[in-house]
Amino acid sequence: MSAVAGGLAYFIPAAQLAIESTGKVLQVTPSPSMLFSPSPSSSAAATVAPISGAFTVLLLGSDDDSKFIGDHVLTQSMILVRVVPSTKQVTMLSIPRDLYVHLSTGGSAKIDGAYSYGGPGAAVATVEQDFNVHIDDFIWIGLLGLVKLIDAIGGIDVVTSNPVFDDYYPADIYSNWPYDYERVAVFAGPQHLDGLHAMQYVRSRHGDLQSDIGRSQRQQQVLIAIRQKARQLSPEDLPALSAALGGELKTSMGLGKVAQLLPLASSFDNPDSINQIILANPYTHGCGCPETYLTANWGLILPLVHQYFP
Amino acid sequence: MIPRFVLGVALAAVMVVVGTFSYIYLGSKQSKIAAPPEKPTVSSPRAQSLVLPGTLYLTQSGALYDLAAGRFHQLTGEEGWTQPSATPDGNSLLAVRQNALFSDVYVLNRFGRVQRQVTDNASHQRFQDIGYNYWSFYPRLSPDGQTLWMTYDGLKCHPECFDVSLAVWAMPFNGNIRQAHAWTDGGYYTGGDVQPIPIAGGVMYTKYSYGPDGKLVGQLWFTGRAGSFGRPLTDPSVDCRSPSVSPDGNQFAMVCTYEKQVSYLTIATWSGETIGPLKSIITNQLVAQPTWAPDGSGIAYLAPGAPAGPFQLWWLPKAAYAPPPPSPSPSPTPGGPHNGPLPSPSPIPAAPAVKPIQVTTNNGFDATSPMLWLG
Repeated sequence: MSAVAGGLAYFIPAAQLAIESTGKVLQVTPSPSMLFSPSPSSSAAATVAPISGAFTVLLLGSDDDSKFIGDHVLTQSMILVRVVPSTKQVTMLSIPRDLYVHLSTGGSAKIDGAYSYGGPGAAVATVEQDFNVHIDDFIWIGLLGLVKLIDAIGGIDVVTSNPVFDDYYPADIYSNWPYDYERVAVFAGPQHLDGLHAMQYVRSRHGDLQSDIGRSQRQQQVLIAIRQKARQLSPEDLPALSAALGGELKTSMGLGKVAQLLPLASSFDNPDSINQIILANPYTHGCGCPETYLTANWGLILPLVHQYFP
Repeated sequence: MIPRFVLGVALAAVMVVVGTFSYIYLGSKQSKIAAPPEKPTVSSPRAQSLVLPGTLYLTQSGALYDLAAGRFHQLTGEEGWTQPSATPDGNSLLAVRQNALFSDVYVLNRFGRVQRQVTDNASHQRFQDIGYNYWSFYPRLSPDGQTLWMTYDGLKCHPECFDVSLAVWAMPFNGNIRQAHAWTDGGYYTGGDVQPIPIAGGVMYTKYSYGPDGKLVGQLWFTGRAGSFGRPLTDPSVDCRSPSVSPDGNQFAMVCTYEKQVSYLTIATWSGETIGPLKSIITNQLVAQPTWAPDGSGIAYLAPGAPAGPFQLWWLPKAAYAPPPPSPSPSPTPGGPHNGPLPSPSPIPAAPAVKPIQVTTNNGFDATSPMLWLG
């Protein structure tokens, strides 16, 4: 019994994070055109069936520094991920943050603002209604959380496709003045990135002609690298990971589903089974407006989404 | 008869010990993936490992190290040092010292003591605009020691735009940055031209540009004249970078990724004008920074020691990529003692495949910094 007590004490940080971060019930702001309704799996109290069918998760990444008030943050990264356990196929579709869409909360704006108007429920609902997909769950992580996560797993190996130089990279993570800037130089080629440099690689966009589109490609590279590294984790690593992620992670998945996903994730070992989709031209294009909006070519996007997210 | 009180205390003590033990035991079962790399000087290459010829210079955590006679020595503090190269006589080192705003080229002696600062890239503007700082990277001296080659962001369009693509520049080694001039244009929002290597007739470098599929890729280029357009040596689809010249100047090693999250250690012959067919000699590791041994006995490179781990030093003997020609099989002597039917030849045993050797295990070398190998 005392051994069990010792074990429980060891896993307390992980349990605490699991209770605080998982099972977030999606509260969706009603919208006339909204197609979303909370799925049973989005409730922590729901009974979790074995994961056998395909499911879709919306990954959200935000800068959550002191520029923002509370949970009213922008989502700099929105990636739809569909997992088909039976065929071990994964599809990742990056949604440009500057895409001009109808928000589930009403009105039109850049899609990165959906979360700030209505939290994760609004972000999920906006993607569901505009892209005509069903989303089972969401995972949200803050910038600092991503840095800490990558450090907690000992860094990641990435082949950075090109040098990333940025003279006006936001110095908002560790700076006292969140509107400050710093210079960034990430070299190209195979390398081991710690959390801070991985963040610089995926977040910088000033030096990329494709701006957010180029950044989306880099984000997918880093996501795959994190998954590759996470395969080496053991259950005993969970407390350290939990301590790193405290307050920087939210998900609608219940504890049971998270537990089922862990062995599933480690069984995906073929990088070629991961489809990576970026909505570059002709799927999206600049509108020539004063703001940096991207307009969507829904006639091309929706068939593509239907193909990979049926 | 043991008193109940003593029994209770003993049981409580056992519970505390077992609980603590299980807590500590679980902690000990954590994976080691988050363990920070050791300093190279903490654990030099294993005693049974080979001793590499000459002196190899590498960087880890912003410090310069050398590896000579099987032992590492730390030459500088962890102060942003990276990308070492050498003067033609091998008596001094060139290296970049980088901070959060700018980087400069320095000359150091072989023990890591700074002898002089070559560039001055810190902003001298009165107002606080960090865009007036500059980067210098990948310093190389011409064979005559008169010209410093480097990549530099002196062509950036600040403050009109955000592009910070680097270009290949040359400047008098004993001059200053105002005497530098660009040899290439660095492209537009691509990252630019990096890793210049002065060779006979011009300079070879890695150019990043948009390939036919719209993705940014690396290509080896060569140019023989400042301001000329230059010409590509490798195809965009092969996505190559990090060229390294063999000691005899007749071969190049490079890293090619085929636009994927893999990297192949690739070699090719060099005629002085064109390169020969590419030959991948390592395809199952995430290789970086191939560097030829000064005596031509092999190639050192960096690659993870464990999957997705920090980069270690590896060594590939020459026999792995340039095996010696097979010795001729003995032919029967006519009229010799054996006059009957010729025996069927016994199969020649295949030469054992020469595999790369992992030299270090717990370090975390900077895979973006070229290594320097002096004889």
